[in-house]
Amino acid sequence: MEPFSYVAASDEASALDAGRVGTFIAGGTNLVDYMRLGVLRPNTIVDITKLPLSQVEEAAGGGLKIGALVKNSDLAYHPLVEQRYPVLSEALLAGASPQIRNMATTGGNILQRTRCPYFRDAAVPQCNKRAPGSGCAALGGFNRSHAVLGISDRCIATNPSDMNVALATLDATVHVKGPKGERDLRFVDFHTLPGEHPEIESVLQPGELITYVTIPPVTGRSHYVKVRDRASFAFALASAAVVLDAADTIKTARVALGGVGTKPWRSKEAEAALVGSKPTPETFRKAADAALAAAKGQPTNMFKIELAKRTLVRALTEVSHG
Amino acid sequence: MAMRRPRVLAYIHDWSPEGAHRELPAIRAQLRGLGAELAVIADRGAWLLGPDDPPVALVGDPQGERSFEVEDGQMLVDALAAASDAMRTPPPITFTRREWALTSLCAGFAFVVLGCRGSDKRGKAASAQETPKEPAGPEYEVTLNVNGTDHTLKVEARVSLLDALRERLGLTGTKKGCDHGQCGACTVHLDGRRIKSCMQLAVMTQRRKVTTIEGLANGETLHPMQAAFIEHDGFQCGYCTPGQIMSAVALLAEGKAKTDTDVRELMSGNLCRCGAYPNIVAAIQAARKGA
Repeated sequence: MEPFSYVAASDEASALDAGRVGTFIAGGTNLVDYMRLGVLRPNTIVDITKLPLSQVEEAAGGGLKIGALVKNSDLAYHPLVEQRYPVLSEALLAGASPQIRNMATTGGNILQRTRCPYFRDAAVPQCNKRAPGSGCAALGGFNRSHAVLGISDRCIATNPSDMNVALATLDATVHVKGPKGERDLRFVDFHTLPGEHPEIESVLQPGELITYVTIPPVTGRSHYVKVRDRASFAFALASAAVVLDAADTIKTARVALGGVGTKPWRSKEAEAALVGSKPTPETFRKAADAALAAAKGQPTNMFKIELAKRTLVRALTEVSHG
Repeated sequence: MAMRRPRVLAYIHDWSPEGAHRELPAIRAQLRGLGAELAVIADRGAWLLGPDDPPVALVGDPQGERSFEVEDGQMLVDALAAASDAMRTPPPITFTRREWALTSLCAGFAFVVLGCRGSDKRGKAASAQETPKEPAGPEYEVTLNVNGTDHTLKVEARVSLLDALRERLGLTGTKKGCDHGQCGACTVHLDGRRIKSCMQLAVMTQRRKVTTIEGLANGETLHPMQAAFIEHDGFQCGYCTPGQIMSAVALLAEGKAKTDTDVRELMSGNLCRCGAYPNIVAAIQAARKGA
């Protein structure tokens, strides 16, 4: 790992001040990994772990306010999350391992970088995320794990987070503070598509710090299903987060997919196919077809399109059977 | 023969101060760091040198016979005993196991540290060894509480907790496997919770409580999880075992696992390439039911 300077921020003001030149670090599970690989090379890191952002609180109106420094394990096992937002708890527990969940934070998980093997390998010259304009080694390369939705001719890397898929269905809001003040950002608009600029992954501006995330109350049931190469401790090949409020017919539905999109993939198309219909296998399949209608596979990840559909059907089936 | 400062004793077939003139400054620098002197026994002679002294020939054999003499019988006994110790009990007092292995490999000889009989000098040598090499980046003072004892270190920001434990504090029970948070060999407890010490920067553990595998047993009494791993043969090569045990102890404290399936899922951050998983699960379940 290359040498760098370290600043421990004692409060929000000092963090934001140091953040003008430094890179924020909290759990470090993603940043330290990428620094050791030589992919990320900050000159200065700013330790924000002393900031008072480790609380999960009930928000006014019944929602939840989650501090950016809440550990993934604390969030997953929080009674309010387990009772009211099972999709979030299940998604968090489907990600990483207990040790990493004890380190990784909410803010860091939102911002975790892709697992594309060409992005991870600093010896590969072509990666538009790592070295803008250098090309994409995954296009035409080994791309079994890559995205089929939201891709561009510059990048097909997936967003690897499970938690993000759940937050996308929960209509979360990301609250940030920066040199120019505070902003509240809709979670579904927080991550950006690769397009011409895969090196830009979110609307977060340099020096801005995620302070907390809010999620509104949910009606109906929610659930997360993840499919991967091994039983545990692996990134998703496909995953689905669903919130469904249904009796004879489906009143409201929220659907997001993971492992297949270049960003956490909220599917309005699937939701439109569900609302007003009966919760039957046919309806679920129709929704899955709608969710993947725009999918474009590569030679070695074509299987993901059908896999994602079946994953979504399973999530909808399980959540409607309670 | 009384020796008052640690002596590194090296056996090298083909060595002489003249032939080694290029390495001598580096050897002296190391000796200064160790607070030790070096005795070299080679085919062609034997020499003694300290950090600041010219090599003193103890005996010489210009004919190049494969033999050497020693000062007296006690020196021979000492040397043989120390060599024998070194074969059985790594690491020697003034070297970490890693340095021992590297030095042995590089120099192609076995060397022995003959520590002085008084432990005061040993302590001095050990602390001298902690003098870091020229740092490449800024250093920061950090106080770690490891297994109940405070240690104050100066470290670069890029030093992981794992490296600080192993390379600076000599606590080599915690293992380095992948160094990327994937294998779990480096699992320790930070403020009572299991984490991967390879992903944790030491500088970010200021005043925090670290428990390593060395801190688990109560004196000679093993922690119940350690005893269970032995009872159920929960290992083969043993390299992943400290991490498995630290993870398993935390798993019980977390209280989320009941079935074997739960245990397997919540131990998924610890890989065992020997495949001792069935016995690891059995050991954890036995410890859980006994707890």
